[in-house]
Amino acid sequence: MKPEEQSRPENSAQDESESVNRREFLSSATVAGLAAASVGATGKAAAQQVASNEAAPGALPPTAAQEAMESEVPAGYSAEEAREYFVRNPGSDFMVDLIKRIGMDYITTNPGSSFRGLHESIVNYGGNQAPELLTCVHEEQAVAMAHGYYKVTGKPMGVLCHGTVGLQHASMAVYNAWCDRAPMILLAGNHLDAAERRPGAEWSHSAQDCVRVVRDYIKWDDMPLSLRHYTESMVRGFKIAMTPPMGPVAVVLDGHLQEAEVGDQQLGTISIAPNQPPSGDEAAVAEAARWMLEAESPVIVADLMAHDQDGVERLVALAEALQAPVVNQFGRMNFPNSHYLSQGAAAVAQADVVLGLELFDTWGVINTLRDRVHRDSVRKARPDARVISIGSNDLFTKSNYQNFQRFYPSDLSIAGDAQATLPGLTDAVLSGMLRSRRVSNAEREARWRDAHARAREQAMNEARYGWDASPVSTARLYAELWKAVKDRDWALVSDDGMQSRWARRLWPIDRHYQFIGRSGGAGLGYGAPAAVGAALAHRAEGRIAVNVQRDGDMMYTPGAFWTAAYHGIPLLTVTHNNQGYHQEFMHLQRMAARRQRGIDGSSWVGNELRNPDIDLARIASAMGVWAEGPIGDPGDLAPALARAVEVVDGGEPAFVDVRCQPR
Amino acid sequence: MNAISQIPRFGGRAAWVLLLWVLGPAAAYSQERDSDEAVREGRALYDSHQCWQCHGYEGQGSVAGVRIAPTLYPFEAFSRLVRHTNIMPAYSPNVLSEEQLRLIYAFVLSVPEPPPLEDIPDLNFE
Repeated sequence: MKPEEQSRPENSAQDESESVNRREFLSSATVAGLAAASVGATGKAAAQQVASNEAAPGALPPTAAQEAMESEVPAGYSAEEAREYFVRNPGSDFMVDLIKRIGMDYITTNPGSSFRGLHESIVNYGGNQAPELLTCVHEEQAVAMAHGYYKVTGKPMGVLCHGTVGLQHASMAVYNAWCDRAPMILLAGNHLDAAERRPGAEWSHSAQDCVRVVRDYIKWDDMPLSLRHYTESMVRGFKIAMTPPMGPVAVVLDGHLQEAEVGDQQLGTISIAPNQPPSGDEAAVAEAARWMLEAESPVIVADLMAHDQDGVERLVALAEALQAPVVNQFGRMNFPNSHYLSQGAAAVAQADVVLGLELFDTWGVINTLRDRVHRDSVRKARPDARVISIGSNDLFTKSNYQNFQRFYPSDLSIAGDAQATLPGLTDAVLSGMLRSRRVSNAEREARWRDAHARAREQAMNEARYGWDASPVSTARLYAELWKAVKDRDWALVSDDGMQSRWARRLWPIDRHYQFIGRSGGAGLGYGAPAAVGAALAHRAEGRIAVNVQRDGDMMYTPGAFWTAAYHGIPLLTVTHNNQGYHQEFMHLQRMAARRQRGIDGSSWVGNELRNPDIDLARIASAMGVWAEGPIGDPGDLAPALARAVEVVDGGEPAFVDVRCQPR
Repeated sequence: MNAISQIPRFGGRAAWVLLLWVLGPAAAYSQERDSDEAVREGRALYDSHQCWQCHGYEGQGSVAGVRIAPTLYPFEAFSRLVRHTNIMPAYSPNVLSEEQLRLIYAFVLSVPEPPPLEDIPDLNFE
């Protein structure tokens, strides 16, 4: 059915007494706050969440001006003129009501005419509060902000964009979110009805199937043609996005549907409850427990596992029950690195049973591929090591993009959300544990405590090398940063993989919110906006958010710093500025050495970000952000950081550009 | 097959321990430090061949390449690492001559030890 058949203005000419007030509809609708229901929550907790949302008040009551608009013909106009000139109940108001009920606090956007109706409704009808629009200067930035925000709050943002040019801009960041299992709702404006389109841009900005450009890396999409359809699609989209494995979804908002009079449509009610996360099969979990108990040296490897602090604590419980080391791959903050069972990747080599929890790359945990002329692989794990996989990878995936990594035939593979499965696994371990195993656990504990202490000492010892070097060593960068924020409630809102992992090697990272993992698809342009989105989430908690920003990544989406300044989002950004695309330097060196052509000076070509040097501090400053740098002398770093922290304490973003060693 | 070629290609620190054991005390590093000029030339080669991309400007190492300075590796082991490893790209003599490699080695040897841990109070993360 076409939109015009659903919401033609003539519908509004009917007697208002016969029409259904959409606010009353939404007040009575049972739309549970999906976003607030953590997938890691227990059934009881989730049920309480639903009950809480059912009891919540409906949409905001209309203002006096709105009441007047909805019941009166403006002075000086005939009723016919009023119908021609004015809309009393635009569809986009209804859209806002539903967005509010779902609990979407923020929507990032770069403004566009294909969603001008919803834009106006959010600002005026919704009061620009929950959802609040966050102005972005690029859709890639808008999506990455939503990505970072989710990883702190566990709640999806909306991203409002043109269905055509907006989604095309957004596509790289959507791919990152897909790879990183970050849910969000893409709200894409589009004009489907050609007869209704304005000439020019409205045609260029319309498509038969606008979501096609990102469909390979989102979970679901729809193009509702009525407000009832919109309601069902939005709620369905939230449920799908938030069900493990989580990911982006898209709902196309037809321009006519946004702008037309709602009239007397019978919208009815809709009742939903959040999906409980899928747990692994009980018998298979019992078998996994038996394998772990029988193992002499079980090792746990976790990657995209913990959705929240509860997930961290569940993993601690399992690891302590088994006295098994945990290798945290830091796709999420899964396990406290100050815990003695937190161990390096080398622990896998001695394991007889490896338990993988939501691994991005199971094959890569067990094997390695050598980057030589003839690529071959070597098994890192023991030949007799058995592998148990628990994860949601196989519950939903797609074919084209190969982010699912190389296939590994696990010996016991359990489909289910690992965090949801952990309590059952831990219970099975504890109930099946023999006395002899409890006794041997004491020896394991002593061994891992010793190994953890030695690794910690080794990390600090290694950090000494290059301590006074200029450009600044990445170890020194993190040491100085730690000194600047350690007495505050801090959170790192960037990955440290390109800085030799010094944060996870040096900083005590104990809380889930203190580390948000990596980009997912390794597409540049993620860092700054994801950090701003995460910092927005931390602002509500009074935490200081710390972003170590790579220079190459920053040049894709520097506008994120303007958004931080504009919306008053406190964020401490310190650059890891190595003046180039360092990973590619190394690739070029490898190729040149392999071909025996040498690299004496030539690796700069295509890779350097020098000549002219990019003044990152001036870029940040031009975006309205307090900034200093570049700093090359490590002795100058601490005072600059102290000044920057003072700015952030005042509620604003601050930026310190630091010339650093490559890694 | 000589002793060096029998070094395990993977094995990290264990490989170097084995190397020193195989080569014996005669091969353990006891050479005189090269001249300042050699160090300067070595530094220039270290920079131009961009060894620092993986190993850092001071040879301190990174997640991309092991620490190589200060070093106790004998030159033979250092050469083996550069020419025949499966981890870093293999630099043949066509790219890096023996003399150039010795100069780079001289620079690597010249890098001083960093301050002890107790002299760096900022490396306290407790």
